[in-house]
Amino acid sequence: MAALPTMRQLGCLRALLKTQEAVQPQIGRRFISSIYSQRPERVPLPPNLPKQFLSQLPERMQPENGVPQACQGLPSAPSARTACKDPVASVTDSQMTVLDPKGDRKALFDYRRNARSVKPGDIVRVTFKNGDPFNGVVLSIKLRGIDTSVLLRNELTRVGVEMSVKIFNPNIQSVEIVQRAMRKPRRARLFYMRSRKHDRRSVENVVAAYIRQKRAFLGGNKR
Amino acid sequence: MIQLKTLLNCIDNSGASVVECVNVLKKKRAATIGDRIVVVVQKQRAAGSEGSGTALANKVRRGDIRHAVIVRVKKELQRVDGTVVRFGDNACVLVNKSGDPIGTRMTGVVGQELRDKQWSKILSLAPVNV
Repeated sequence: MAALPTMRQLGCLRALLKTQEAVQPQIGRRFISSIYSQRPERVPLPPNLPKQFLSQLPERMQPENGVPQACQGLPSAPSARTACKDPVASVTDSQMTVLDPKGDRKALFDYRRNARSVKPGDIVRVTFKNGDPFNGVVLSIKLRGIDTSVLLRNELTRVGVEMSVKIFNPNIQSVEIVQRAMRKPRRARLFYMRSRKHDRRSVENVVAAYIRQKRAFLGGNKR
Repeated sequence: MIQLKTLLNCIDNSGASVVECVNVLKKKRAATIGDRIVVVVQKQRAAGSEGSGTALANKVRRGDIRHAVIVRVKKELQRVDGTVVRFGDNACVLVNKSGDPIGTRMTGVVGQELRDKQWSKILSLAPVNV
């Protein structure tokens, strides 16, 4: 335990000396970094420099090279932002003209504007170009321009199967509405139909009845 | 997304009903439709009639280690044309070392991805493919 200064009065003197020793050399010390000096002014070349000294100057300071100029750089490229205001919309339009020239597929799924379109809760049959169909209840319609897709749910061999189909997919032959929703669902996305309580289960018998009916109307035609 | 400890339904008549994945073959990630895995039979299918013929009933028993091919997964799968498919359960079919299915019949829908991975024997056994 250190002795208190009241006990040894001269002891505090020693303590004072100690601090002086510790601090003093630091005050006097100077580092290289602490020396600050102004950047020297550039000395201009004397106007009438004798010719024999010119060889000592670097290339850029030779009098025939003139006064050094700031580099101009290349002219900037034309801005893509001004050239094409809305590139996504233009790509969507160009793709639409290729994939859906008449616009009827777009109208079939535009459930916000078209009253006769496919709506969530409807039963839909999508036939692909390679011949195999997929039937299902529409759970949701994602309106995303050319990426518009529809989520169908069905039950095949007692296993739930969901398929999200891009409606402008060129592999799709046809999209048919088999049955409208019994009553208008109060949601736009019917994900609750995945739960066991609300599951629509298999729609195959509904679709089979529709196909039978259609065949009767068309008079023995196939499909 | 089938990985270690995943329980799958076995949808063939080999005798297993629930199997557990213990290894994914030829892949460092989770397995999906068409991938080959190693499974342990956890639950046996009850043999239909005990007395008639045990040879016909169960080809595998509980605790057997077998190879299997995944035919359905819950995790959604995107195909090249942009359609996304998701099934209600994870299911597989037992195969032997050379890749032939152990069972002779299958119940239930399978994914079309099996075609790309040359499991045409399984596809031809399946009643439906999506």
